[in-house]
Amino acid sequence: MYKKRHLILFVLFFSTIFLAACGSSVAPDEVIPSNEEEGASAKICEVTDVGGIDDKSFNATAWAGVQQAAADLGVEGQFLESQQQTDYEANITAFMDEGCDLIISIGFLLGDATEEAAENNPDQNFAIIDFAYDPGYDNVLGIVFATDQAAFLAGYAAAATTQTGIVGTFGGIKIPSVTVFMDGYVYGVEYYNQQNDADVEVLGWEPGVEDGLFAGNFESLDDGRTLAISLMNEGADVIMPVAGPVGLGAAAAVQESGEAWIIGVDSDWTQSSPEYADVILTSVLKRSDSAIYQITEELLAGDFSGGLYLGTLKNDGVGIAPLTNFDGNIDDELAALVEDIIAGDLQTAP
Amino acid sequence: MATQAATLSRRVEYISPRRQRVMGFVFLALAAGIWLFFIRTVDAGVSTTFRLTPGGSDIQLADWVFATAPALNILAIISAVLGGYQLARGFGRNTNLVLGLVSFLFMFGFLAWAAADGSLNIAGLLRTTLQKAVPITFGAMSGILSERAGVVNIAIEGMMLTGAMIGALMGSVGRLYFGDTAGLWIGLGSAVIFGGLLALIHGVLSIKYKTDQIISGTVINIFATGMTSFISAKFLQKYQELNSPGIFQSIEFPLLSKIPFIGPVFFDNNVFIFAMFLFLILLHIGLFFTRWGLRLRSVGEHPKAADTLGINVFRTRYMAVTLSGMMAGFGGAYFTLGSVGRFDEVMTAGRGFIGLAAMIFGNWSPFGSFGASLLFGFADSLQSKLAILSVNIPSEILLMAPYIATMVVLAGVIGRGHMPAADGQPYEKE
Repeated sequence: MYKKRHLILFVLFFSTIFLAACGSSVAPDEVIPSNEEEGASAKICEVTDVGGIDDKSFNATAWAGVQQAAADLGVEGQFLESQQQTDYEANITAFMDEGCDLIISIGFLLGDATEEAAENNPDQNFAIIDFAYDPGYDNVLGIVFATDQAAFLAGYAAAATTQTGIVGTFGGIKIPSVTVFMDGYVYGVEYYNQQNDADVEVLGWEPGVEDGLFAGNFESLDDGRTLAISLMNEGADVIMPVAGPVGLGAAAAVQESGEAWIIGVDSDWTQSSPEYADVILTSVLKRSDSAIYQITEELLAGDFSGGLYLGTLKNDGVGIAPLTNFDGNIDDELAALVEDIIAGDLQTAP
Repeated sequence: MATQAATLSRRVEYISPRRQRVMGFVFLALAAGIWLFFIRTVDAGVSTTFRLTPGGSDIQLADWVFATAPALNILAIISAVLGGYQLARGFGRNTNLVLGLVSFLFMFGFLAWAAADGSLNIAGLLRTTLQKAVPITFGAMSGILSERAGVVNIAIEGMMLTGAMIGALMGSVGRLYFGDTAGLWIGLGSAVIFGGLLALIHGVLSIKYKTDQIISGTVINIFATGMTSFISAKFLQKYQELNSPGIFQSIEFPLLSKIPFIGPVFFDNNVFIFAMFLFLILLHIGLFFTRWGLRLRSVGEHPKAADTLGINVFRTRYMAVTLSGMMAGFGGAYFTLGSVGRFDEVMTAGRGFIGLAAMIFGNWSPFGSFGASLLFGFADSLQSKLAILSVNIPSEILLMAPYIATMVVLAGVIGRGHMPAADGQPYEKE
């Protein structure tokens, strides 16, 4: 028995060390030192969602913004990865103890944890991607994006591309920052139908009913693959997966069958996942990197204030990547659409 | 123990009058369900189209078009007649078979209703069902191997995750040095080996040191999540060439793949699906018809008796647990080498645990677990089809459906299973 107790202690001891090392604890996962000699002027700290810093999606894009700020503005950047949803609060607390000047939470799911921390610590500056508080807080900047405007353009391009007259989309989890993509996409297709007297059908999302096709998670690439196969089986030949890395499973299925195109989301997938470049039609860009960069500039100038930042086509907070693999040329039409949307002449969401 | 098991299984076969009546009412209720929910909401003159060719297949088959309302009426009448007969006379031993038939009719009616005035690709639905069932079946077979020998293995999820990661990593390395095909096989082989190694740790902890098997399994799961996430973040995501092993291409079975409908669904798949069938048959024969299987099962049912008869309990259990890990590693490789060709953090998303559930529902038998996996896969593919067809059911409910369906059908129809008697108990030699 003596031996056995030792062994259990041994296992517990090592698993604790291991958890501490690779999970999220007080030691930050990575530190970018500032490039200025006399030390950092500010410390920008990012708490990721469970997708992780390398999700090739919003966590990675936001981190790119921090890195950019570190390189240009001489701030120090750090991040902590949340392995599960219970880590949110712990990670935020850990960063407050670190003396961060700005804590950026990535994603809608961190909304409650961030709100609680901000209420209890009025002197600490926070920013959160994809969440808008109503009423707002003086020390929290909600960064939201009118992604529907960019997805509208992608939907228009998809409708112009399809051979079968059917395009599709699916989401990760039904939360507003996901469905806003799908709204814009459907509206873009409908506008194309109106303008060109076409009858392109969208599978996977109905703005009126506010329901559609979801993987139920942001992790299982295999789900993304089978969802894409299901959509292709029902005739869709352009698919926009709004599901973080799950979308890469869809890209793999599409590449294997060669029967459809993929529309990337968040970042330009021809850059972030070049292995699928041959099946990517375009990407809906949500430029959280440029938003974070701008906010860092404001912070350094002493202008940081809570409230709301809205990324739109107008301030370049959202956009679409250049069309690749597209026969013909609709760049002029898209440019005209951009102007109409900025002018407020087109409805891009319900 | 053996006699107890025999009486148990006999009791399950015996149909009580109460069960006969309940089943009769269930059949009638299903018939009424077809009337109430489907027929009344379908407009007359509407027709349903079932497409019988999955996407990407060369063997085209004409679409199956039929008028929805009359077809639904026929289904309801058949179900009602079966229900009446069950109440009056009873099907006796065939009750479960008839229940399966009526459930099938109901499901068919449901699909016809959902696709009314539209189309549904039935072949595609079955194909994704089979593909969804693959990792779950491997997880279940892994569980059977170890639990039949008396060691609870809840670390299957972690072993699958490790298999997925190692498969992607070693597959990519192999690809860089030895070319595409060789790389895939190297990846698969490494996944199997690492699954086995992890299982060996579980074996040492739970057989030699008699640690609580649940704790040991949990620790391995946490360790696997941490380790794979760490390697993924530090290497696989940074250097893309380490995370592109490629995918096993579909193999078209000669002749058989040319059969319309069945061919593209079953005989035009990649190596994992064929391997799954092979392992299912081998495991079934091995467990129930060989000396190896008898010894393995005896160690799980009554290790002391086995020991007295000269069977080396420890060695048998080590062997079973290691094989279980290798099976899990093989199944884990499906996620990267058979499905998407890349690894991302926690991509197994709980499939290993569902495999364990399938094992329990399948009563610790290979084909029973395969049935449970298929049922889960079907419910999962069906829910995404329904979302695509925009049937008016909230997506949150649809996402729960696979779990609910699996629980209801298997708990209601299969009834009580019996686990290996010595499952989870460390053996102490006296």
